[in-house]
Amino acid sequence: MFVSIENLSFSYSNTKATALDNFSLQIKKGEVISILGRSGSGKSTVLRLLAGLEKPSVGKVSIQDEILVDDRTFVQPEKRGIGMVFQDYALFPHLTVADNILFGLFRMKRSAKQTRLQEVLELVELQGYEKRYPHQLSGGQQQRVAIARALAPNPHLLLLDEPFSNLDAELQEKIRKELRDILKRANITSIFVTHDEKDAHILADRIVKIKNGQTDFIGRPCDLIDVYRQEKQSLPAASEEKELIYT
Amino acid sequence: MQRRLANVNIWTVTGIAIIAALFLPNITIVMGLFTPSNENWEHMKEFVLWSFIKNSLILVVVTAGATIFIGLSLAWLIAQYQFPFRRFLKWALILPLSIPPFIGAYTYHGIFNFTGVIQTTLRDRFGMDLNPAYFDIMNLPGAIFIYTVFLYPYVYTITQVFLSQQSASLIESTRLLGKGPWRTFFQVVVPISRISIIAGASLVILEVLNDYGVVKYYGIQTFTTGIFQTWFGLGDIETSIKLAASLMGFVIVILLVEKVLRGRRQYSYSSTKVRPLPLIKLTGWKAIAAASYCLSILSLGFFIPIAQLIEWTILTFGTIPLDEFMSYMRNSIVVAGLSATAIIVFALIVGNFARLVQGRFAKLLPKLTVLGYSIPGAVIAVAVVTAFVALDEFLAPLYQLAGMNTTLVLSVSIILLITAYIIRFFAIGYNSIETGYDKIGTDFQDASRLLGAGLTRTFFKVDMPMMKGAIISGFILVFIDVLKEIPLTLILRPFNFDTLSTKAFQYASDEKIMEASQASLLIVGISALAIVIFYKFLEKEMD
Amino acid sequence: MNKLIYLVLTFLLLVLTACGSNDTSAPATEGASEEAEESTEVNLYTARHYDVDDELYKKFEEETGIKVNLIKGEADELLERIKREGDGTEADLFLTADAGRLFRAKDDGLLQAVSSDLLNEQIPENFRDTDQMWYGLTKRARVLVYNKETVKPEELSTYEALTEDEWNGRVLIRGSENVYNQSLLASFIELNGEEQAKEWASGLVNNFARDPEGGDRDQAKAIAAGIGDVAIMNSYYFGQMLNSEDPAEVEVAESLGLFFPNQETDGTHVNVSGAGVVKSSQNKENAIKLLEFLSAPEAQGTFAEANYEYPVNEEVEPSELLKSWGEFKEQDISLSALGENNAKSILIFNEVGWK
Repeated sequence: MFVSIENLSFSYSNTKATALDNFSLQIKKGEVISILGRSGSGKSTVLRLLAGLEKPSVGKVSIQDEILVDDRTFVQPEKRGIGMVFQDYALFPHLTVADNILFGLFRMKRSAKQTRLQEVLELVELQGYEKRYPHQLSGGQQQRVAIARALAPNPHLLLLDEPFSNLDAELQEKIRKELRDILKRANITSIFVTHDEKDAHILADRIVKIKNGQTDFIGRPCDLIDVYRQEKQSLPAASEEKELIYT
Repeated sequence: MQRRLANVNIWTVTGIAIIAALFLPNITIVMGLFTPSNENWEHMKEFVLWSFIKNSLILVVVTAGATIFIGLSLAWLIAQYQFPFRRFLKWALILPLSIPPFIGAYTYHGIFNFTGVIQTTLRDRFGMDLNPAYFDIMNLPGAIFIYTVFLYPYVYTITQVFLSQQSASLIESTRLLGKGPWRTFFQVVVPISRISIIAGASLVILEVLNDYGVVKYYGIQTFTTGIFQTWFGLGDIETSIKLAASLMGFVIVILLVEKVLRGRRQYSYSSTKVRPLPLIKLTGWKAIAAASYCLSILSLGFFIPIAQLIEWTILTFGTIPLDEFMSYMRNSIVVAGLSATAIIVFALIVGNFARLVQGRFAKLLPKLTVLGYSIPGAVIAVAVVTAFVALDEFLAPLYQLAGMNTTLVLSVSIILLITAYIIRFFAIGYNSIETGYDKIGTDFQDASRLLGAGLTRTFFKVDMPMMKGAIISGFILVFIDVLKEIPLTLILRPFNFDTLSTKAFQYASDEKIMEASQASLLIVGISALAIVIFYKFLEKEMD
Repeated sequence: MNKLIYLVLTFLLLVLTACGSNDTSAPATEGASEEAEESTEVNLYTARHYDVDDELYKKFEEETGIKVNLIKGEADELLERIKREGDGTEADLFLTADAGRLFRAKDDGLLQAVSSDLLNEQIPENFRDTDQMWYGLTKRARVLVYNKETVKPEELSTYEALTEDEWNGRVLIRGSENVYNQSLLASFIELNGEEQAKEWASGLVNNFARDPEGGDRDQAKAIAAGIGDVAIMNSYYFGQMLNSEDPAEVEVAESLGLFFPNQETDGTHVNVSGAGVVKSSQNKENAIKLLEFLSAPEAQGTFAEANYEYPVNEEVEPSELLKSWGEFKEQDISLSALGENNAKSILIFNEVGWK
């Protein structure tokens, strides 16, 4: 397996409840995984653990058989080769689009840097925007810069945290397709977290549903629909749906 | 210590080292709490302690209230409304900070006393013979007035910056919900600026607690008076340290309250699209009222005392030797600049440490360094000298090796003085830096690390540039404070080392306030210049 | 990055040591090694902040070639610094404006006995410490100042008389944190015992025109303002007011009269400025030379002229202004008593509620 996650558990120091319990997942190269769940379900915790921004209480993560974390090893986030697109993008406001993207390329030669910059700009279709500052861009453009920045250093794995939450509905539709194209073109293994089932259905090869820190479901998008059908018959889940929309 | 990976790295190590170094001298004071009390302590308790505490409490509470009222109202006017002189007032309202409170106290007394300009004008020009007691400001309300007009900028600056960075939608939505400007102010603005108000007010409180110059001159007996009385008068440094330690306890309570009020809320916005508040244009009497309110505060805190100082300077010009003033000025600027630089560098390291570690204890650790700010300068001085003499004794073999024929090297150098400044004013620099870190949050740091940059690279490439404003404002505040500082400079300076403030104090303490005016004006001039430069820089940044 | 931090720190250190050494002429590194030969400097910790003092030090340098290195500060804080610096202290001479503080320095073992014929000749015996640990340099009298319109000089007699009923609500004096008041009360403790001193203090508090505030000059102004009729203050402050740059102050001073109390009884309270050689002084000879210089007629004349203080050297005449106030009888007590009774006087102040 390309990415292997085994028995990952985590709890925040200031709460007693476990944020994530015994989470396991195997991912093939090039696969797009969606982690679906309500806010507070622990879905973002998975991303933070993979990125190395949190330390799991137990569990093991490896990419291409290289161990990132287990009970003895902990690779610092900057050494993991994992890219992440933050929910609010976290574009450095004091740097231009080009400098934001070049930020992760500081180990490359100058000429290689410029080539890579043009490549990713082309990928996200933002050529000509190099000199702009983040606040001079629209929400959709900001997101694409964030993706370009995360992809630029050629990470093994791309993580996206609620990629559509900051965009208005109309834009969401369009961006979803764009994102899918970008991911496929880049042929990058990726995991994105969302609370919106539609996102998951359109983008993901596989969906992982998390509820209260526990894995609730793993499977293809079409399988999830079957599950829901059964659930709906057994209990009226109106309240849950409502929350799904608002979180 | 779970969350943010408290790994041993250069940041945690230097962070803890700095905190320890800044805190160590305070330990002498803390230990004072545990010495058995002697008859002097009993005497203090029986006769005077209660009135000291009462006076200190009144001073602190009323001054805090008044500075919050003035600071916040000014900040709100400047952040939300457009009216005449607003652009000028925005930075000019910080200027009162450039006047040392003890100089302000002497100056206002000079204005109000029997031979002062107000009474003489009323007598000679208008033939009015009013009871001089009406003009007496050398009392508790007078001291509160002095502290308020010269210290409100601490609340004003911090709150103003905070408010002008608030998202417009928050304020606008309250207006749309049918709240008038007053209710918006009290129901939304006050609660959301709570943190910055507390941050500013706690600086004011600490400043009032450790001040000695104003209360001594105005004849008000406070806790600080008590410390000095037992030390100097009774020659009982143990009891005075005991008093200082109790004061420290009081400050710890204030710090804890601040921490609790701040709670667990994270005040960061990483979104790049915060729309600033659009200014509402005031017209007619409202514009006049707003402008005159701001201008009258500014006059009280700056123009009036400055005018008096200028008059005195003219009166005494030529009567005191001025040839050394260039060297006083250079000394002032050099020590203030060096201390401010050191404090900001240390504050950045400690602040980053505080951000990297989690866990309640580790988070509180940096707060310990703030204690130095609450202790009267003279007491810190003793603690620092003691520590340095011990250090020199420890290093003595090294000095011998270097062929020096003396045991005291560091303790007679300017490093002693600068160290004391750092301990004393760390709180001011740290406050700015901490707010800066709070504001940028951790997302940018996370993003940077996931792009392969280590903590150190992240610090220089992301944190520092994003905190430019906080760094510069912290630097300026410390710089001005060192420039004004008096007890430490007086006791700890090396031979033949005079600064503008020691010069001003030398005359003022000898009741020659007129002769003190020239050095005072230079202090004010340099501080004001620093404020202007800072403001121009910020303005450029905003564009 | 680590390198960068070190670089910055090293740079800072270099700057610091550079400033330290060029500004302060580094007495530390030279002092001891040159002691065997001729030392060319003297390190002075002084609590006197007058410009005229600086002029005198300059003159001393010109005449003797001995450089005077100065730290000016508050007396108690300087004492504490000397104490903490221990044997390593750089201080050679400690100069202050109150006999009580000189006593305390001696009591804490910070001073050493020195003597020279010249000093004995220039300074009368009652202004020298009995163990030759310190020498008085100038005298200041704590006098009464009164409103010429409401008070006739005949009504004034003694400090004690001010506690009588006729002065109720008319007496002005500064706060008890001030060392001149502490020494005044200390002298009464010496003369009359603790009980009577306490009675005096509490009687005076009863007659206060207002709670104590401000400095000595402010008491004089309060008389002019009509708040009270008589004030206790130091003589030289009155002299300074008469010669102030501010015409309003001069006007105030001119409306007031000066009175030397207790002429028929113990004499007017007198305190001194004085200095003692620090125990571990490495430039003892130079320190003595400076003491001799400051008590010589020329320097004594300057003190009297510029600062309205009374010279201790009997060869020197007080200034014209001082002479115009007339001669007076001084309290005849050992000045050390001011220091011995200092703490007691503070306790009394607290007990009688003298703020």
